[in-house]
Amino acid sequence: MTFFKYFIFTFIFSLNAQASLKVMTTTSDLAALTKIIGQDHLEIFAVAKGTQDPHHIEAKPSFMVKFHNADLVVSQGLELESAWLDPLITGARNPKIAQGTQGFLELGSQLNPLEVPTGVVSRAQGDVHPGGNPHFQLDPLRMGKAALIIADRLSQLQPENKDEFQKHAKDFKTEIEKKTKLWQKRIQETGIKEIVTHHKTLTYFCSRFQIKCDIQLEPKPGIPPTASHLLDVIHQMKEKHLKTIFIENYFDDDSPQKIKTQISNISVDRVPVSVGGEPEIQTLEQLYERLISAVEKAAQ
Amino acid sequence: MKNILYFVIGSFFAPSFLWAQQPSLNSPNVSANALFLYRNSNFASDDLSTTRNGIDLEEAEVAFYSDVDPYTRLNILLSLHPEYEVNGTKVEKSFVLEPEELFVESNQVPNVTLKVGKFKATFGKHNYLHTHVFPFIDAPLGNTQLLGDEGLNDAGVSAAYLVPTDWFNEITLQYLQGEGENEEFNSPTPSDGVGLIHWKNLFDLSEALTMELGGSYAQGKNSIGGTTSLSGGDLTFKYRPIVGGKYHSWIFAIEYIHRNLEQPVAGARSKDEIAEAWNIWTKYQFAERWSFLLKRDEFQADGADSTLNTNALNNGHISKTAAAFVFQPTEFSSYQLEYDLTHGPSNSKGDVDEKAIYLRANFTIGAHPAHSY
Repeated sequence: MTFFKYFIFTFIFSLNAQASLKVMTTTSDLAALTKIIGQDHLEIFAVAKGTQDPHHIEAKPSFMVKFHNADLVVSQGLELESAWLDPLITGARNPKIAQGTQGFLELGSQLNPLEVPTGVVSRAQGDVHPGGNPHFQLDPLRMGKAALIIADRLSQLQPENKDEFQKHAKDFKTEIEKKTKLWQKRIQETGIKEIVTHHKTLTYFCSRFQIKCDIQLEPKPGIPPTASHLLDVIHQMKEKHLKTIFIENYFDDDSPQKIKTQISNISVDRVPVSVGGEPEIQTLEQLYERLISAVEKAAQ
Repeated sequence: MKNILYFVIGSFFAPSFLWAQQPSLNSPNVSANALFLYRNSNFASDDLSTTRNGIDLEEAEVAFYSDVDPYTRLNILLSLHPEYEVNGTKVEKSFVLEPEELFVESNQVPNVTLKVGKFKATFGKHNYLHTHVFPFIDAPLGNTQLLGDEGLNDAGVSAAYLVPTDWFNEITLQYLQGEGENEEFNSPTPSDGVGLIHWKNLFDLSEALTMELGGSYAQGKNSIGGTTSLSGGDLTFKYRPIVGGKYHSWIFAIEYIHRNLEQPVAGARSKDEIAEAWNIWTKYQFAERWSFLLKRDEFQADGADSTLNTNALNNGHISKTAAAFVFQPTEFSSYQLEYDLTHGPSNSKGDVDEKAIYLRANFTIGAHPAHSY
């Protein structure tokens, strides 16, 4: 009898396991968000880890194996993954996840992107994204909207769990909106109005929390800092009395350390810009909380 | 031919919006690549050498690729490169425009990529690389000596099957026409083709370290009526740390090729040419935009008989050592300074050691497709 019960349990468990959707996300942030919505109904794998620059991921064939078995690909889009996602999808030989199918979801263009270039776009301007800045993961409200979009797509792929997906997405959106108001208040209290960053990764964060982020250590997007540009940054920081530099954690901090020798009393913080960017950052809320705390710390 | 040339040249100077535009239904993805090479070699100082010292356009490539429909994808890659020919007491330069690759691939077949057209055969690790992604200026000795200047590149059909295992496990079967520029397979009988099998495995030893292990075998009739068989193996380790991977990475690779070329002898047992080659190289990225490379390359041929085969190899041993620095300002440009020391057959002055220094500049514009890992 015990054996029979064990057999039935194993059979039901295996049926349940087979029913789970396999989701590939291009970044760890989208994996964290999708996990909130789909919970135990999904098996999720993120290609870019939180410590990696998502522009420059190597298209390892081992990722193709995971894409081969996937039911859904969730990408940030806006050409963030253009260097590596296409070969992974092509190499996966899985028609279910081809671009334009139900198994491929690109979020960026649906979230009112910032910094959409106007006029002629050329690589002389650096690594410009014609569709707009792709780093929307640092705006909690846009991630709330993204949750609803993901829930809709998961509902199409697994209609039997539609109510659950929709509920989790709406709960997340409501909760993150509430927290954003509190975070906005905390940022306001710091009095910090402008920070310097390495790349334009924090644009959406800055926009949401009304901080100016117009000065970057990169002379142009994707181009490493040059001596002459750093001198210009130093000049601007002195002129505007700026005291805070945030370095996205996948860049080294050589350049800000050089700036530090020229301007006294500035704070340099290597901040995570994705879930997993630091070992203890395992959720989006923890990520936002870490950034808010970094602004507060810089103000002290 | 002239029209194609004008089109290619026109494409280079097309307005920047051509490169910036998003692919649409009316326009395929377009990209172009130009390689410029400065060479200074003691072997190229001869006035009648077809290998020239000085600065030159090494190669330009123009690629067009796009989905044809939901089922297929078309890839066209044209190559333009200079060619030198000795004409009496002069060396004449001309430009050659040719389809380097031109094939359609399947989009919708589960597990398998089907391909038909002219393409670089999936033999070994180096053969299917385009010139602008060669780790060193020259292809390995095994590839140039045993597969020909252009490598194993021919018209044919291909099926690459992704075996359902936990690791990347791909088996590729190809049938080539056997009428390319490779005399090792260039049978005078039109129905004689080349069969090829390639097995590629890639294991994630950790999140930062991969090991790729490949094996290849090809067989077909050669230009002198015998059978040529090629076998090869390759092993590559790649390391890029999860933290700090923008600034440091490391590659270690080794490839081996063996060729057995039958040289039929009338009324007697065939006399086989046996040749083998291996190369081992490493690349260390020591800063965001800087890398150092080092290579050792060996080649050995025995039994080649020029009375039986007009294209016979020189019997004997060739070795090459190469060292290079690469500066890569962006993913679309790079500069490579390389020193090669080759020990092999003597030149007209009796020198057996070729010492060459190279500087190569590499530029890419447009929507260039990502290269394989």
